[in-house]
Amino acid sequence: MTGDPGSGGAAFLLPVGEGPDGAILGLLAGALESGAVDALLLPVPLPAGDSFAWILTRDPAVAAGGRPLPPVMPVQGARALRDLTRKGESDVRILALMRPCEIRAARELAKLGQVRTDGLLLASWDCPGALCSKDHVADPDGAGRRFAGMIAAGSPDAGGGVRSSCPGCVDFSMTDADVHFGLLGEQDGALPVMAGSPAGRTLLGSLGLTPAAGTARWKLRAEMERERRETSRRAADEAAGSKLRGAEGLLSFFSACIGCRICRAVCPICHCRLCHFDSETPRPDPDAFFDGAELRGGASLPANRLLFHVGRMTHMSLSCVSCGQCSDACPAGIPVADAFGFVGRAAREAFGYEAGRGDGIPHPLRTWRRIEPDGIGGLVRDAEPGACAHE
Amino acid sequence: MNSIVSRLDASAAVRELLGWLLGEGRTDAVLTPRRLPEDGSCDLALLTAPEGLDRAEPLLPVMTTNAGQALSHLSLSGRRLTAVLKPCELRAFTERVKREQGSFERLLTVSFVCGGVFPLGRVLSDGPDTLAAAALEAARRGETPAGVRETCAACEHFVPTNADVLVSSGEDGCRIHLCTPRAEEALEGFGGERVDTAPDPAGIERVLAARSAARAELYRALPVEGGLDGLIDLFGRCVGCHGCSRVCPICYCLLCDFESAGLEGDLPRFRAALDERGGLRLPSGTILFHLGRMTHMSFSCVGCGMCSDACPAGIPVAAVFGRTGGRTAALFDYVPGRDAEEPVPVTVFREEELDDIG
Amino acid sequence: MTSARNHGAGDAGEIRSEGGFSPRIAAFLCKWCSYTGADLAGTSRLQYPVSIIPIQVMCSSRVDPVFLIQAFLSGADGVLVGGCHPGDCHYETGNYHARRRFAIVREVFDSMGLESARLRLSWISASEGPKFAQVAAEYTSRIREAGPNPTRRSLFL
Repeated sequence: MTGDPGSGGAAFLLPVGEGPDGAILGLLAGALESGAVDALLLPVPLPAGDSFAWILTRDPAVAAGGRPLPPVMPVQGARALRDLTRKGESDVRILALMRPCEIRAARELAKLGQVRTDGLLLASWDCPGALCSKDHVADPDGAGRRFAGMIAAGSPDAGGGVRSSCPGCVDFSMTDADVHFGLLGEQDGALPVMAGSPAGRTLLGSLGLTPAAGTARWKLRAEMERERRETSRRAADEAAGSKLRGAEGLLSFFSACIGCRICRAVCPICHCRLCHFDSETPRPDPDAFFDGAELRGGASLPANRLLFHVGRMTHMSLSCVSCGQCSDACPAGIPVADAFGFVGRAAREAFGYEAGRGDGIPHPLRTWRRIEPDGIGGLVRDAEPGACAHE
Repeated sequence: MNSIVSRLDASAAVRELLGWLLGEGRTDAVLTPRRLPEDGSCDLALLTAPEGLDRAEPLLPVMTTNAGQALSHLSLSGRRLTAVLKPCELRAFTERVKREQGSFERLLTVSFVCGGVFPLGRVLSDGPDTLAAAALEAARRGETPAGVRETCAACEHFVPTNADVLVSSGEDGCRIHLCTPRAEEALEGFGGERVDTAPDPAGIERVLAARSAARAELYRALPVEGGLDGLIDLFGRCVGCHGCSRVCPICYCLLCDFESAGLEGDLPRFRAALDERGGLRLPSGTILFHLGRMTHMSFSCVGCGMCSDACPAGIPVAAVFGRTGGRTAALFDYVPGRDAEEPVPVTVFREEELDDIG
Repeated sequence: MTSARNHGAGDAGEIRSEGGFSPRIAAFLCKWCSYTGADLAGTSRLQYPVSIIPIQVMCSSRVDPVFLIQAFLSGADGVLVGGCHPGDCHYETGNYHARRRFAIVREVFDSMGLESARLRLSWISASEGPKFAQVAAEYTSRIREAGPNPTRRSLFL
């Protein structure tokens, strides 16, 4: 549950000093130097200063150049974890610092067998949102300043140019990370850092930090922020729902799509090496394609763009964590995340499923129940009266 | 050559031509850019009846997808097709035909002296109507519109050489040049006055000079002399989405080498990198992908600029690939898309050549 | 403090000897000619540097340019492709294609300001043991002068 330290149950104080970036880097360096972990995975600014790369390192000097709280998210951290562990769990103990949505995506991928979390310690922070990547490339300094304001306020509203999926993100704080930096709880020059698991507790305990008396301020500010985000989310979902109404709504929403598949490529959840929508199966036979065009008087190219989007929704929206990579990357400016987030939430409600939890609950499409929750049973019943009579 | 005079602007003239071809049964379907006014967007449309042409905008200065790529598969059907293609799209399609990924057999190609296309971001902000008007205005003045893709502003191949039908604009409308016997046959009976003319050489020279200068400047500004550091400055912010390859009309492999399991990272490789260089970047292989793709296809790059437009990180892929591609093609005196009979350089060889190698 | 751009873990992989480091050169050698030539150098007890790491391929045309790039980016100080002399390819024309591909990857490197001198193609026949030893020695010496490949230290590749 957002706002509660998990089963680790312990909270410590991290002196902020010049700022949270430096403080967190110091803690990561301490974990590395003490041997509590073998390597760190964190964002490091590129030499050109226009973006950041995920760097896995065991060298404290490299880590010292990292940026724990980057203003942008050019690569979803769960993609980096996928690359690292999909072929086998890491035997190197790694502490990875990421945004909450990146950790939630990693938890989903673990359920899909694409990330192995053994040997990984996942650390998150109270996220005020991520700026649009292209704005940062154009003006890194300006973007950096805006983001500093967002960190101080703990809110996406404090800065301009934030991803559209961020203002409505209610999972911006602690979920199922091993360690969480409670930036919102900064008080008297220190911020709470909390354990979310026994492993996290062991790590934090070994670093010589002062235990925190409590996390009341953090909980309060996180809850207030959460309410704000909830309001934004309802408004965004309502807007998305009305735009996506009917075939016309869908067609209109995706009309600018050029069929590049970049939304899928940057999505942390989409992991198939050969996507169904790139396979021979939906590839139109040229003569059949002409026949179809003749029936309708025409056809739009590249073919099957709407099929791709709706199909991808059915395949992965249950796991969508609304990170907004898709919208950020879309060359045609389509707010893909608004659609997928909306549909994903509705689908999850039907299954009674929460995405991004390390709870051991299987992904809904990997399991079944003889008697499904009302959300599903209702759909089936409406479609075929009497279908559920035999039980 | 035999040319049809039209008082309409080029886009309207081609629209009229496409309608006539469909109405007369000279073709089964036409491929053309199209405006979608209700959404403020545009697409590439395959139309089978004249009624569908009211929103067609053949010379729309927008490229949502390289039509040479879209056409490759379609051209393998048994239907007769008429395709409106920008010069680079025709060259790209020619490159695909060489690779047995398309056919000219039942195809009538309509191309034009091209002013370039606007980036997708401009379509979003300004809308297709504004852009079409801007392009028309520039064409009347014999100039390249301001704000087109940087590779368009630097493109020297803006007059197609292999089209069946070539359209050139002037102050008083346009000329529809019939360049091949196929064109003569298809358009017999179409339009009014016929004259013997060709696109104005002086106007073309003027545009070419400007384009060449822009090209030199575009390449000069790339950080390609800085060795490894320059390479990282250029491609460092790549996120590994492979969107550039996907929108590229030349890259057709269903399973690209750089998406194959063999080139994926794995723990032994990662650990070796951790030991050797103190760190590694994830996802891995982004720089390898770009250098590798250059060796695989740069000599066939037609400079359409889809890659740069698609890139979520704003990397000038098209400028880099166009520049390197010019050099790799020149090794073999090759010009992509010039001639459908000219084989792809890596499929042939001369016994005596490249004697400084080996 | 060393910049993040060029930082490595230290000298792992470098064997210091008098006169400089010991280069690592990945050598893609075709089975029928150059690999056999290398074998002959060995059985003839000809000295050639330990820098050569031989990788047998059936034909020099098996060598995708991507192999060369991958070896280079992974930190190989040099990459050598060995094939049959033009006209003598076991599969008749493979080496002609290899020659064109090598020209392309070399041009890509030159166009991007990368050290194309770290890539080399040599024609070495099965009977040319001494030639193999000579090429190996000469190329090693040239690479030693060029120094370790900076890709070894590059964090962002």
